Amino acid sequence: MDSQLTASIIPPLAFLIPILGAVVVVPLTRTSERWRAIGLSITCLLTVVVAAGLIPGVLDGQVYETYLLRLTPRIWMYMRVDAMGALFGITASTLWLLALIYSTGYMADEHRKSRYYAFFSLSLAWTMGVAYSGNLLTFLVFYELFSILTYPLVVHEETPEAMAAGTKYIIYILIGGSLVLLAIVFTFFLAGDQTLSTQGLLDMSMGKGNLLAIFWCFLVGFGVKAALVPLHGWVPDAHPAAPAPFSTVLSGVMVAAGSFGIMRVVFNVFGVSLLSELGVMQYVQYIAAFTVIFAAILAVNQDNLKRRLAYSTISQMGYVALGVSLLGEQAMIGALVHISNHAFMKGTLFLCAGLLIKHAGIHRVSEMRGIAKRMPVTMGAFAVAALAMIGTPPLSGFVSKWYLGLGMLDVDKPVYLAVLLGGALLAAVYLLPIVYAAYFKEPIPAGDITPADKKLEAPLSMLLPAVAAAAITLILGLAASAPGMPLSLARLAAKLAFH
Amino acid sequence: MEAAGHITQNALPALIVAVPLLSAALVRPLGKWNESVRNVFVTVVTGITLLMTAGLIPLIAEHHKITYSVPAIIGELTFTVDSFNMLFALFSAFVWFCSTLYSLDYLKHEKKHDRYHITNLVVLAAMLGVVLAGDLITLYLSFEALGLVAYLFVVHTETDEAKKASIKYFWMTVLGGFALIGGIFITYALGGTGAIGPIPVEHGATTLRWVAFVLLTLGFGVKAGMLPVHVWLPDAHPVAPSPASALLSGVMIKAGAYGIFRTVTALFRPELAEEIAHELWHFTGQIGLVVLWIGIATMFIGVVLALGQSNAKRMLAYHSVSQMGFILAGIGAAGYLGAHGALGYAGGLYHIVNHALFKACLFLGVGAVFFRTGSLDMYHLGGLWKKMPLTFLFTLIAACGITGVPLFNGFVSKCLIHHSLVEAWELHELVSLGIAEKIYIVTCGGTACSFIKLIGLVFLGKPKVEYGPKVKDAPPRMLIAMGMLAAAIITLGVRPQIVLEGVVAPGLHTWGLHSDLIEHYLEVSFMSWGDIMSVVTAFAIGFTVFFVGMRFGLFHMHAPKWFGVDFWYRKAARGFMGLCRWTDEWYELLRGLTSKTLRWIHLRYRAEWSHLERDWRRTIMTVTTGAPGPRNQHFVQRSYVILEREKQATVRYAVMMAVNWLREHPDEADDAYCRGLIDAVRDISSYMATRLFKERLGVVSDFIRSDEADAVRDTFERVVCSLSVYREAVGQTALTLAEKRMAGENPLREISAAMNRILSEERFDQRLRQSVPEQVTPTAALLHATHGALPTAPSAARLTSYRVEGLSRLERAGTWVTDMARLIVESATQERVSWMIEDRSSTESVLKTRRQIQRYARDMSFNVAVVLIVLLVFLASLSANF
Repeated sequence: MDSQLTASIIPPLAFLIPILGAVVVVPLTRTSERWRAIGLSITCLLTVVVAAGLIPGVLDGQVYETYLLRLTPRIWMYMRVDAMGALFGITASTLWLLALIYSTGYMADEHRKSRYYAFFSLSLAWTMGVAYSGNLLTFLVFYELFSILTYPLVVHEETPEAMAAGTKYIIYILIGGSLVLLAIVFTFFLAGDQTLSTQGLLDMSMGKGNLLAIFWCFLVGFGVKAALVPLHGWVPDAHPAAPAPFSTVLSGVMVAAGSFGIMRVVFNVFGVSLLSELGVMQYVQYIAAFTVIFAAILAVNQDNLKRRLAYSTISQMGYVALGVSLLGEQAMIGALVHISNHAFMKGTLFLCAGLLIKHAGIHRVSEMRGIAKRMPVTMGAFAVAALAMIGTPPLSGFVSKWYLGLGMLDVDKPVYLAVLLGGALLAAVYLLPIVYAAYFKEPIPAGDITPADKKLEAPLSMLLPAVAAAAITLILGLAASAPGMPLSLARLAAKLAFH
Repeated sequence: MEAAGHITQNALPALIVAVPLLSAALVRPLGKWNESVRNVFVTVVTGITLLMTAGLIPLIAEHHKITYSVPAIIGELTFTVDSFNMLFALFSAFVWFCSTLYSLDYLKHEKKHDRYHITNLVVLAAMLGVVLAGDLITLYLSFEALGLVAYLFVVHTETDEAKKASIKYFWMTVLGGFALIGGIFITYALGGTGAIGPIPVEHGATTLRWVAFVLLTLGFGVKAGMLPVHVWLPDAHPVAPSPASALLSGVMIKAGAYGIFRTVTALFRPELAEEIAHELWHFTGQIGLVVLWIGIATMFIGVVLALGQSNAKRMLAYHSVSQMGFILAGIGAAGYLGAHGALGYAGGLYHIVNHALFKACLFLGVGAVFFRTGSLDMYHLGGLWKKMPLTFLFTLIAACGITGVPLFNGFVSKCLIHHSLVEAWELHELVSLGIAEKIYIVTCGGTACSFIKLIGLVFLGKPKVEYGPKVKDAPPRMLIAMGMLAAAIITLGVRPQIVLEGVVAPGLHTWGLHSDLIEHYLEVSFMSWGDIMSVVTAFAIGFTVFFVGMRFGLFHMHAPKWFGVDFWYRKAARGFMGLCRWTDEWYELLRGLTSKTLRWIHLRYRAEWSHLERDWRRTIMTVTTGAPGPRNQHFVQRSYVILEREKQATVRYAVMMAVNWLREHPDEADDAYCRGLIDAVRDISSYMATRLFKERLGVVSDFIRSDEADAVRDTFERVVCSLSVYREAVGQTALTLAEKRMAGENPLREISAAMNRILSEERFDQRLRQSVPEQVTPTAALLHATHGALPTAPSAARLTSYRVEGLSRLERAGTWVTDMARLIVESATQERVSWMIEDRSSTESVLKTRRQIQRYARDMSFNVAVVLIVLLVFLASLSANF
């Protein structure tokens, strides 16, 4: 391992700044919408800067670490920025920034804005903490914080549906969280508290039964968040109920945090060689492949736009899980880079869905006919993201699918190509008819209050994040191999994990 | 061969792709500013692209192969040009230039010119990207871009027909794209590196090679209009504006042909080497045979379907399918013949070029007819040669080209393909290939017939409708475009050496193949009697079919729907959507069932739990107090019943008194009076009895509140019995006041007075208290049992008032212990608060919460007490030990 450890105070800033935003900026700016927007945008932007600032060093092979807090002589709260974490961190903070700017427009006429902004800012903090956690305990702390403290955002609308979705969310997440806790305690018992390095904490001498128990606890625990199919129940309910900017980060980053957890478990807790020796990954492959196809099939028939997108998220997270479970270098690159690519693709789609809800009153796919004439920019961004989702080059979705495909062949499992392409085809089936209807179908005349040719385009504060997310999707595809892009980080992470 | 070693770097190929792509960004602003400037701009851009493409000719002549890489996406996009690439790029740019020139006038009919021109330039870039691509990723990227952006061509008119066709086009393109990327992935699995070159033979199982081949061929074949994935083409090509149709049919389907050409002749061929063993060509030969037969089937079925069309553009589209069959047959023969497939290469490639030229020209010609007459139905037009002479001339030249009239370009390529088929037959003398050769001649006859029909029905003969003054020759720019194409058709027909010796032969050398056969053809067979005879045969068949068909109306016969693959594709698509819906419905059903089951289990659990709790409470109560139910509650219930009984008896007594009084005074026994009196007495007495009942019950509750209930429990009934004396008083009062009541006056004041009197006499509470004997209450008994050291059991009265009276220390401890015991009983018997609160903000739930908090505080104090006791016991035991 040629990575060198560097003690640094920067990693904690990534979560301290958003906390500062939540506990200082929000209360201070209770009276002024404008200042709150500016203040929070600045804290969010600073977080992005911190996350981005860590990347060059990480690419150089450095690993930043910070000892935060000593709980007992043996247990530390410990931050550690490696390639995987840096990738997740920059993805999360960027998407959060877009969603935050978008919120200032979207939430303008909503209630209880202080609560919303405070928790929104806090959840960024926890996510950054998850990204930069250096050991399992720290990971657990941030993971649980961000799982539980996002509940107020899920139920923000406080409609009966939102409350029901929130209850469902919290039950699922708590059960998942307790399994993760169990697994971590078990790991601690067997291996002690070690840093999440690439060697893996466990080894075969600890007993196969123990290892299997830990593995499945981890997998089911994180699988709830990562929406693997039998555990996905909360996702399609939580997304339509939550406000659009939160759906964006929920789908783009928070669900991916589950996948990120699985990655940490697979590559850092167990390590590749141990898992191939254990031989459990093929079952994970089956689950993931089933997730990809099944969720996509369900998405085809959803009329509620956000619900359809939620099922799409489940399907796409299946790709990530599949990429991880193949235990190949290329597949891991694909999985990692898909986390980042998917965040912005799905982010764009959800931001556009929010624009449709706020400015055209459209919640359902069947109401979207001819809307592109009235919201050309919105639907343009939507179309780009939809094409990216099915893996059209040169958009970002292609890059991840390319690596996933190569990864499948690398480990000699070309059968999964059918899953990869089948999922993409289904993505075409559930996304492109929307685009077609929006552009080429005649608008519905009845029930439309505003004249048919009136532009419904949103103000710049909301439109800009959506367009920016679409642009990022394009850049992540076109310039995928540029240094500093997620792909370079993913390559580095994969290299560390496999060599 | 020697050229394969060194490859020259040159940025020109990348520029050729970049220029139209980047220019597309300027179309919209220019179009908003000034339409004619935009028109000039797009023409100039396509012109420059054509010139740059022409600039490749000297480069290739010198270096044989040039390459350039642009960093993008995953690593690099590579553009590589050899002779074959250059050939494709050349004719694409040329036809594109002609079509763009033509479109300037033609588009006056259409809307959204900017969109058309942007699409035009982007698709040009994509097309050039496909044919100049140096690796499979670049190829795939360009191919997808081509397919998806060309969608805008198909849907451009936005008529219902166009939309329908565009949907079909779109899904076929998407599916093709997936097949293609799947195929590309598998080439990597076989050991390919992504370069467009031979995949190592020794790698990979044969099955995987076949899968790769099938996927690649399907992926490219969708675009090429190959059978059986051609179904979108006859719908999509005619609905586009004519210049776009010319591009779709003339150029873009060649992207598919190019792909299949490279698949067969580059990817699945043996490595370039000086000596190639014959066995190594085996796989190439097999896939060549497959492609050859697909080609034969495509050409024949395409032409049969074309004959049944009345829409001129639709007919041309079917001919595109058919002509792709010719090309595929040529490519297939090239693959089948392996090292000796030069004629197949030459025929296939030359036909690709030729088809691009004459099909584009035909579409433009028919488009010009549509531009002037507004009609595309061949059976409704006629005699246009006089009105549109130049259009007629150019269309005729193109028709001569496609039917293979000598001295026109189609003749050469068709003869080359024919020769390669004959050679393929001669290689192993397969009977099937002999049949293929016959089908080929018949197909040529069908093609001839079709174009006899087109020219005859549209331009010759008598006009079937009156043409207005607007029907004249096409505008000059359109004519120039067609003229350029027509000139190219004739040039290539007269001087095939330009392409065959100038491009194909060096290309074959680059790929390590011999070109002797081509030179042999040009010297010996070109314009030979045998070839001309086969054309004559074809035309003879053509004329026969035409006249027979016109005479008997054969051209209007249509096969049933289920006969076409399109029908089954639709079924499959619908079935697929049905499957999705079915899955969704089952999933929802299952989900509903699960949640219902969970809810049922939850309710069941709560019911069982509360049942258990009740039982537990009862047990505790029985154990501690010896009687089921809370004692006070029990007492209240019992006293209620007793008092109620007393109340009823009081009313009964009063009524009896009234009846007796009436009996004693029979003189007043008027029926109505009697009834009235009894009623009045009952009213008054029941009012009074009820008030008495309430007062007495109040006393009872007072007793309970002050915890004296236990004391009076046993004597209560006796005391109440002693109250029966007041029945008399009530009855008297009722009887006295009955008259007043009957008179309608209000006797309430008198009643109240009587009530006060009775109550003050009665003093129910005092009676109760006096009745209490000096005896041990259960609480005291408990106390007695636990603290045997007590000298005397404290009386109930003393116990209740222990807070005010000074008690001995021991007594106080005793009361404290009893209190705690009572708390134990209570905590064990209290109702559990349900954990599901229905409404979070109602006053009820607030109260509930408050009560919970209070109870919690009390329980906590109880817990502390228990801990203290345990500590004390602990200390006590310790001190006992030492």
